[in-house]
Amino acid sequence: MATATPTVERKSPKISPGYLVWLLLIGVLITIGLISAVQVFVKGLDITNMYDTVPWGLWITIDLSAIALGAGAFTLSAIVYLFGLKKFTPIIRLAILVGFIGYTSALLTLVMDIGRPDRFWHPWVYWNVHSVLWEITWCITIYLTIMLLEFLPVITEHKFFDRIPWTREVAHVLHKAAPALALLGLGISLLHQSSLGATYGIVKSRPIWFKPSMPIVFILSAVAVGPAMTMTIAIIIEWVTGKRRISHDILRTIAKFSAFVLLIYGYIKIWDLAATTYYGRLPSVTEAWATLRMNTPYNFAFWVGEIIIGIAIPVIFFLVPRFNRNPAFLVMGGLCAMAGIVINRWDVTVSGLFVPLAFSPGTQYKLPAGRYFPNLIEIGVALGIIGYALALLTLGVKYLPIIGEPEHKS
Amino acid sequence: MSKKKTKVKVELQRRDFLTVAGVALGSAAVAQFVTTGPLSPFSQFQQSQLEGGAQTGHGAATGNYHWGMIINLDKCIGCEYCLRGCCANNDVNPDKPWNIVVEEKTSTGQTFYFSRPCLHCQNAPCIEVCPVGATYHRDDGLVMMDYDRCIGCRYCQVACPYDARRFNWKEYTEPNPYVPTYGTPQVERRPRGVVEKCTFCVQRIDLALESGKMPGEDPEATPACVGICPVGARVFGNLKDHDSLIYHMLEENPTIRLNEELGAEPSVYYIPPKEGL
Repeated sequence: MATATPTVERKSPKISPGYLVWLLLIGVLITIGLISAVQVFVKGLDITNMYDTVPWGLWITIDLSAIALGAGAFTLSAIVYLFGLKKFTPIIRLAILVGFIGYTSALLTLVMDIGRPDRFWHPWVYWNVHSVLWEITWCITIYLTIMLLEFLPVITEHKFFDRIPWTREVAHVLHKAAPALALLGLGISLLHQSSLGATYGIVKSRPIWFKPSMPIVFILSAVAVGPAMTMTIAIIIEWVTGKRRISHDILRTIAKFSAFVLLIYGYIKIWDLAATTYYGRLPSVTEAWATLRMNTPYNFAFWVGEIIIGIAIPVIFFLVPRFNRNPAFLVMGGLCAMAGIVINRWDVTVSGLFVPLAFSPGTQYKLPAGRYFPNLIEIGVALGIIGYALALLTLGVKYLPIIGEPEHKS
Repeated sequence: MSKKKTKVKVELQRRDFLTVAGVALGSAAVAQFVTTGPLSPFSQFQQSQLEGGAQTGHGAATGNYHWGMIINLDKCIGCEYCLRGCCANNDVNPDKPWNIVVEEKTSTGQTFYFSRPCLHCQNAPCIEVCPVGATYHRDDGLVMMDYDRCIGCRYCQVACPYDARRFNWKEYTEPNPYVPTYGTPQVERRPRGVVEKCTFCVQRIDLALESGKMPGEDPEATPACVGICPVGARVFGNLKDHDSLIYHMLEENPTIRLNEELGAEPSVYYIPPKEGL
C-alpha cells in the first residue's frame, strides 16, 4: 500500500470529462470574481449596495464564515498533538489545508472590503492594542504563518523537491515542531475566533449586539462546524477520487464530536435568546427585535436557518446510528451545519446594523431602518472567492499527499 | 530499607510543603496585584472617582484645554446655517453632512430643532475600535481623524452611537453649493475610501491658538457652526476654564448629554427646550 500510492498519483495524464467540467467551473467563478474585483478597485465601494447605515454586508459575512469554517485546522491539530489522539492523524493535513484556504479567502475578501486596499498593511505597523479588530488581524496573520509552517512538510513531499535535499531536512525539523505549533495555534485561534464575536459583542451602541455571549457563540460554532467541514470534504474527495484513505470510523467520530459541540452551541443560543427577550426586556432590545420582526425575515432565518438547518438536522444526522453509518447523511449534515454557520454570521452582521441608532432627545426623529441585499458586484466577488477556494483545494488534493498517513518519510 | 523509605517520605513532605506554600504565596501576590494593580478591572474606576472625572467628564483631555459645546435647543430655529457653514468651511458633501439638523417633537408635542455635530466623546467608542489608531484623542479632548492612516474598515462607523461618521464611498467631485455663500473651504476634501467626521473645526482652533486668539471668544477661532448661528444657539469654549462662558452656562443651566447611559462622555451638552423634552 505504502509503496504503491506515489505512482498512483500520476498514473493518467489524460483529463477526464468530469474533471474538465470542474476546472471549467472554477475558471468561470474566478473570472467572474476578477471582473467584479477590478470594478470595485477602479470605481470604489460606491458600486456595492453597502451604505452608511449598513456599512458591513456580504463580504464581512464571508470573512467571518470562512474563518469559522477553517477552525477544523486548530481543533483537529489540538486533538492529535495536544490530547494525543493519534488515530486522527490521517485527516490533519486536509484540516490544515482547509484552514489555510479559509483564512486566505477571508484575507482576500477583507482586502476587497476595506476602503483603502493599498493600506492593508497598516494594522501591522500602526498599533491600537485596544481594538479587537487589530488583535484579530494580528492573530490571523500569525495563525496563517503557523499553518504554512505546519503545511510546508507536506509540500516538500512532492517529487519536485527530490532534487533539493535540504528542504526535506527543514521539513523534518518542522514536523518535529508540530506539537509546539499546534499549541501556539490553539492559543491564537481561541483568541481570534472568539474576538470575531467580540467585534460585535463589545459595541455598546447596538443593543442586540452588546452581550457577553457573542464571543462564546462564535467560538463554539467554529469549533463545531470547522471539523465537520473537514469531514465533509474528506468524504466528497473519497467519492470523487474513488479511494478510501481515511477510515469512516474516524470521520464518524469527528461527526459525533461536532454534534456535541453543536448541542452546546444551541444550548447557549437558546439561553441567550431567553435572557435577552423573555427575561431581559430592556426597552432598547425589545424595540430592536420589534424593528427586525417588522422589516426583515429575521425570525425565519433564526429558527429555520440557524436552529433547524444549522443545529437540529446536523445533530440528528451525526448522532443517530441509522444515519451516521451512511456517509451521504454525514455529508448532508456537514453541508447543513456549514449553511447554518453562514446564515448565523449573516444574521449577526446585518441584524445589528438594520436596527437604527436612537440618540435624539426628542420623540419623532428616527433614522430609517437599514435595508441591504448584496448586488451583483458583491455576489461576483463572493463567487470569485469560492472559485479561489475550490481551485486551491483541487490543486492540493491533486498534487500533494494530503490525505491519509504520510507515505514516506525522509 | 525502611529507614531510607521514611527519609524519602520526609523529603517529599518538605518539598510538598514548600510547593504548597509557594503556590499559596504566589496566588496571594497575583490576587493582590490583579485586584489592586493596574490590571484590575476596578483600577480605572477608582482613579476616575478620586479625580472626580466622572463628574467633569474631562477623561482624555489631559492638557489645559477641553473643548466643548453647548447647543441650546430652546433657541435653535432650525435654519440649518450651522450645517451650511460646516459644509462650506470643511468642504463637506451636503448630502452627507457632518452636522445634522432635524425637526423634533417633545413628549408634549411641541416642535423643536435638534442638531448634532460630532460629540467628541471622552470615552469614545470609535477610538477604542479603530484597528490602526487612525482616530485618536488629542490632549485637548478632540477626537481626531488621520485620513492618511485610515484603512476604511468602517468599524468606527459601526461603533459610533451617534451616527456622526461618514464613509467616502466615492470621491466628492461636484462643486460645493454652499461655497462661497457660507464660507470658503479651509481644509482639503478627503479621499475616497476613508471615514470622515466633524473636527470642531480643528484648523481654526489651532491657527487661532498660534496667533494668541482664544477659541470660543474670537469668531475666527471658533468652529464655523458656532459663529454663523443667527440666534446664538451654540456656545463653544474651554470646559476646563472656570472663567469661560461655556463653563458659566453649564453651571447656570440644566443640561443633558445624549445617551448618557452609554458612558461615552460626550463633550457636547444640550440645553432642553423650556417646556421640557
